[in-house]
Amino acid sequence: MSSKLPHTLEQYRHAVHAHELSAEEYLDETRQCIEHGDPQVRAFLHLRLDAARSDAQATNPLSPLAGAPIAIKDNIMVAGERCTCGSQILEHYVAPYSATAVVSLLAAGAVIPGKTNCDEFAMGSSTENSAFFPTHNPADLTRVPGGSSGGSAAAVAAGFALGAIGSDTGGSVRQPAAFCGVVGFKPTYGLVSRYGLVAFGSSLDCIGPITRTVRDAAIMMNIMAVHDPKDATSVKRPHVDFEATLQPTLTGKRVGIIRELQRLDVQPEIAAAMEAARKAAVRSGASIVDVSLPHILSALPVYYIIAPAECSANLGRFDGVRYGLHVDGRNMTETYSRTRNAGFGTEVKRRILIGAFVLSAGYYDAYYKKATSVRQLITDELEQALQSADVLLTPTTPTTAFRIGAVTDPLEMYKADVFTIPADLAGVPAISFPAGKDAAGLPIGLQLMGPRWSDADVLSSANVIFTALGGES
Amino acid sequence: MTTTIGLEIHVQLATRTKMFCGCSTTFGDEPNTHVCPVCLGLPGALPTLNAEAVHLAITLAMALGCEVHEVSEFSRKNYFYPDLPKSYQITQFDRPIATVGSVPIVTERGARSIRLTRAHIEEDAGKSMHVADITLGGETLVDFNRCGMPLIEIVTEPDMQSGDEAYEFLRNLRRLVRWLGVSSGDMEKGAMRCDVNVSVSPDPALRGTKVEIKNLNSFRSVKRAIDYEEQRQAQCLGGGTSIVSETRHFDEVQGTTTVMRSKEASNDYRYFPEPDLPLLQLDSTELESLRAQMPELPWEMQSRFERDLGLSPYDAALLTEERSTAEFFQQTIALYNNPKKAASYMGTEVARLLNERGKTLSETQLTPAALAGLLTMVENNTISNTASKDVLPLLVDTGVTPAEAVKNLGLEQVSDASAIKDYACEVIAENATQVEQFKSGKEAVLGFLVGQLMKKSKGKANPKLAGEVLRTLLKS
Amino acid sequence: MAMIIDKETLEHVALLARLEITPDEEGSLLGDIERILGYVAQLSSVDTSATISKRPAMAELRPDEPCEGLTREEGLGGAPAMRDGFVIVRNVMGAEDE
Ligand SMILES: [Mg+2]
Ligand SMILES: [Zn+2]
Repeated sequence: MSSKLPHTLEQYRHAVHAHELSAEEYLDETRQCIEHGDPQVRAFLHLRLDAARSDAQATNPLSPLAGAPIAIKDNIMVAGERCTCGSQILEHYVAPYSATAVVSLLAAGAVIPGKTNCDEFAMGSSTENSAFFPTHNPADLTRVPGGSSGGSAAAVAAGFALGAIGSDTGGSVRQPAAFCGVVGFKPTYGLVSRYGLVAFGSSLDCIGPITRTVRDAAIMMNIMAVHDPKDATSVKRPHVDFEATLQPTLTGKRVGIIRELQRLDVQPEIAAAMEAARKAAVRSGASIVDVSLPHILSALPVYYIIAPAECSANLGRFDGVRYGLHVDGRNMTETYSRTRNAGFGTEVKRRILIGAFVLSAGYYDAYYKKATSVRQLITDELEQALQSADVLLTPTTPTTAFRIGAVTDPLEMYKADVFTIPADLAGVPAISFPAGKDAAGLPIGLQLMGPRWSDADVLSSANVIFTALGGES
Repeated sequence: MTTTIGLEIHVQLATRTKMFCGCSTTFGDEPNTHVCPVCLGLPGALPTLNAEAVHLAITLAMALGCEVHEVSEFSRKNYFYPDLPKSYQITQFDRPIATVGSVPIVTERGARSIRLTRAHIEEDAGKSMHVADITLGGETLVDFNRCGMPLIEIVTEPDMQSGDEAYEFLRNLRRLVRWLGVSSGDMEKGAMRCDVNVSVSPDPALRGTKVEIKNLNSFRSVKRAIDYEEQRQAQCLGGGTSIVSETRHFDEVQGTTTVMRSKEASNDYRYFPEPDLPLLQLDSTELESLRAQMPELPWEMQSRFERDLGLSPYDAALLTEERSTAEFFQQTIALYNNPKKAASYMGTEVARLLNERGKTLSETQLTPAALAGLLTMVENNTISNTASKDVLPLLVDTGVTPAEAVKNLGLEQVSDASAIKDYACEVIAENATQVEQFKSGKEAVLGFLVGQLMKKSKGKANPKLAGEVLRTLLKS
Repeated sequence: MAMIIDKETLEHVALLARLEITPDEEGSLLGDIERILGYVAQLSSVDTSATISKRPAMAELRPDEPCEGLTREEGLGGAPAMRDGFVIVRNVMGAEDE
């Protein structure tokens, strides 16, 4: 894409509002970029560029997003478009309604160039679990883009869209953002409606923006953070302008470093990036505090009980009776299992089986119930730590993007989410922002977490560190 | 042999929309026309709880004497069935909205109280119709209109000992739900459904093996199924066969129960808290005001009518079957201070007319004031009791006042002694034989002569006065 | 380490979840699940005796007002079998299905 073209939402909005650029022009550029780049990256499962162009023509140039292309993860409903969740079982499923977040984006003038690839039903950390094809990391096509919102992160990183939305259940927005060198924000649970997001782990799932800058994430949050009566877990809050509240410094802020996570093995360049970010924070006026979260390392096992338990119920609806794949059997039991066996991939089946097991008679207390108690314990500890620190700084991932096919052991794959899962369990806001590159030139992401409903503060603090490290304001 | 019976009753709450979505609850429409992403279990859809369903559930639970909990929780009950779109039912498990309670019943064995274990709110499944077709191997037709209908499930303690008691319990519960307006209680439309647990034991101190009976479509079926099952289990035990814990299906035609499935193969429902719905927290002041607004319950009113108004048990039961009838009665006796007479008139003349018209009281033009007026006219001898039967249809059908009706029909009672004397003279002249009999001491003949006089006056004569005038003339 | 989940339990759980485990999957699936369950079982050593659940409460309930749903075609247009407005499935009266 021509370097004169805007490459952030903010620049785009400015250019369109100033009549220097039209939405159609920009979309034509985007089309070229996608046609040129996506055959290698494979960020999209389905494109709708012609429809997007007519949508762009019809948008109000003065609307907040003014026809900006925003890509949608394929587990979020867009009325009239296919929604496969990266699964065979929904290969031909067409959404009869739009998710509330999509409705908000469209109302703000966004246009949708396509639906992005993801791990099947958002279960995975590499987008290799898509039933259709893996997505490649635009920074190095031999590597994974992370997951499960790998298509969304790759699309934004490759310039196929100015922004995207993904879903974050255990890190699925932040981890691919880190791998692809873009910003990924997981809001406080309840801030963005889940209506129309295909449920994986309902008590964890959050829709969040993936953008090139922290400011762009704030711009998208301004549109998506709306109370939704259709989602009983959506919370009514006083209106906050996330963009307007971005501050230039960290004066008076306490940045916490989690002692227990310091002991984890991370790639040396990521440790160095942490050090650089810490210094940048101090230079920006923050103080550094050491906090302890004694049970934070239990977050991973807690997650791999609760998320499968919830998914085992959530994915029961894919039974071949009303929609989706149907494989006939001699009776209903056989019809169900043949349908589901043909429709679900290995990782999904594995998690459904684990989920059914941890909820079943005789195991419920030892697994599911115990996990919910430990989840509460971790949440309490995190809440307490966030009394002595305003934000917590951690790496987003232990390593940078790994090679496609390199991680085959499911348990090893799960461990890629060790830093991101605690925020999902506690429902607190967390952001991953780019913080340099490793020796191989692969993006490094760092994470900031804050207390529930401190989304504006987390975005603001991340913006200061991100720009101090050379990111675009 | 001792029989122990417990019931699980599902009552459909009378809301406009379903439990977790805005689809209409209208019954009897074309299949699959009241559906949406939520009740069809489409991907991405989420439940939102109907405030009115909660309100109705609390009202009923309070009337049942339950402890209503300020905090309750929804859970998912997981099982696969084609009429269960999400593959789980949203119900309450660990923390139901209400626990303990009781319903009084009266049977031949006297008055008793049936304890309730709990009451919880949940959504209904869709409706499956099984079509047996040999060539097709059989198929099932599914309609999701019913899917997501709001229900309250009431679970009793195993406190009943006969089919009659279960029948009486259900009748009384149905009267209550209709009384409160929380449900139509209409079993034919599935607004009230009941599963029965029956166990028979030769030792009164020991509980027998529990057998569950499903597919009970009327109160009578409940009684029939229990009676059959009682006999079947007793026969098994008598013959040395032990009872198997199983679910049985009631066959309406045969009046028998057959095995549906054995309990051992039953599902492991994997209940867990519903993450899509935060806890249900009730406001304590709202609960208090609901409690304060609670109307007098049918069984409370029934015993008050017997105790304070001296009504017969039959009349008291009849008048408290429907709340509108009870209220009509109370308004009537506020204007006409003879409850026993009003009750018996309502139970006979009014009831007969309603029956003929095929209408309920509220569907007619009759008002408490009109009925009180009519009864007062009889009491004052303005019209005779017989004449009142001609007046009543006008009040019921047209809504005119009793005075207008009486005037229109020309039915004012003749209490004028001189006019009656004229009739009496004619009667004496025309019935010489009977007059002789009376004079020779056969006093009973007077009744016949009064009857003749009434006929002459077209029923308008005051019968009491007629008797007196005849007697005076005959004795003179 | 003692087996957490054996073949029979896995088959039982698979039936509950209406999944079919093919013979060639069985070994690896059982092995992976066994290792994952072994890993998450470490939670048993965490002391949660003082932890109190703090699930939030619903802020507001939905008013009982009908709103527009989907037509039969919109909602069930993708169903594999329909007749006279009904969704058709195989007969489910069989004991194993309930
Ligand atoms: Mg139930
Ligand atoms: Zn609905």
